Amino acid sequence: MSSSFRVIARSTGSADYIALLGNIDASAEMQLQKLPGMVDNELVHFDFNQAGRINSMGIALLLRCFKQIREEKKAKIVLRELNPTNTLLFKMTGVFMLASHEK
Amino acid sequence: MKAAADTHLMLALFNNGTDADAFRPLLNGLPGLLSIENPPDKERFAEKMVSLRLNPALVILSSRLYPESRPELVGELKSIFPGAEILLVTLAIDPLPPLEQLAVDRIRHLLVTPSDDELEGIFSLQEAILRLLVRTPWKLQDCVRPGSRVHELPLISSSQKEALIASLEEAISGDSPEMELLRQRAALLADEMVENALYGAPQGDDGRKLYFKGEDRAIDADEKISFRFAFDGETLAMEIVDGWGTLAPEMVVDFLARNQAGMEAEVDETGGRGLFIIWRFMDHLHVNIRPGMQTVLGGHLKAVSTLDCESPRGFSISTDYQSA
Repeated sequence: MSSSFRVIARSTGSADYIALLGNIDASAEMQLQKLPGMVDNELVHFDFNQAGRINSMGIALLLRCFKQIREEKKAKIVLRELNPTNTLLFKMTGVFMLASHEK
Repeated sequence: MKAAADTHLMLALFNNGTDADAFRPLLNGLPGLLSIENPPDKERFAEKMVSLRLNPALVILSSRLYPESRPELVGELKSIFPGAEILLVTLAIDPLPPLEQLAVDRIRHLLVTPSDDELEGIFSLQEAILRLLVRTPWKLQDCVRPGSRVHELPLISSSQKEALIASLEEAISGDSPEMELLRQRAALLADEMVENALYGAPQGDDGRKLYFKGEDRAIDADEKISFRFAFDGETLAMEIVDGWGTLAPEMVVDFLARNQAGMEAEVDETGGRGLFIIWRFMDHLHVNIRPGMQTVLGGHLKAVSTLDCESPRGFSISTDYQSA
């Protein structure tokens, strides 16, 4: 798995599907800033299946991104395919207060 | 009490008899230990200590007594025994003590210990106590089996971070889910530790950060940034050293308390979120600061350690402790 961060987004009639690939850290800033603008629906699925390490800077960027999606797009965010480390990380840093976890 | 502390005397304070009984097997055999259950209020306590001419070098506090039952206790102890170190001890089966009061009282040592008379728990508690008495810093080698190889990776550029993490992951061999999880945790911890040294530690005279997170940068030889780790098949110990010594000891518990309480998803990357993550993922966090000279930040984690938000985790924050 490549460690550089990438985003793959697609939209159906009722939901947006966004896959985050690679490590999420300071280098992901530009792409995560643009993400809220790509949301068209009131439901957004984030797929972390191919996401790697997420450090504290990555957490800050995700929090900012999710907050913007909720406030500006009034959309519900669902996170899926999180590994156990990232699940705990999201739990302890409050990410799950902005997005629900599909197990 | 102005007389020098008696380095052969330790005081252990418990909430009640049941509490003291729970700790008895762990403290059994420690020389110079005086146990007190349900200590009286400050004036009577101070009077008693003076009349008995007791001036301990270390006060061990049960978390069943402080902070919840007696939040004022540490403030009182500090005024009675200004030279004593204070060690808060909590049993692994008990909840994590609320950190806000610990931050207010500048508690620097919290130890989580098993609640049974298992040798490892006894050893780790008694070793931590003796270390505090003689004021020596934690050593990475002490957490792994004797003879385990210590890897040392000095850093000269921020671009080395990924290679460093790859070599750490490679050293944690094994295909079991347990080892995979340990590799994930190790990689995250190494990332946070290196980022702290690269972007958190370098500060100007006015306290402002000199570099932005994620910025590519060369590391000056004077910065002496070095990452070390050792793995013995079960326990991983890691530490990062920087030659800045800018981490304020009193801020460490503040950061942990703020992040522990602030689960409301604060968006900005301020206030020590990285340090909080390191603490929560380690079994025990050690920080030794020589102000303006060096910060050593490290700790250990076991492959079998529980992965949850609730289990208590320990920390030790020392200033100017010197290796023996």
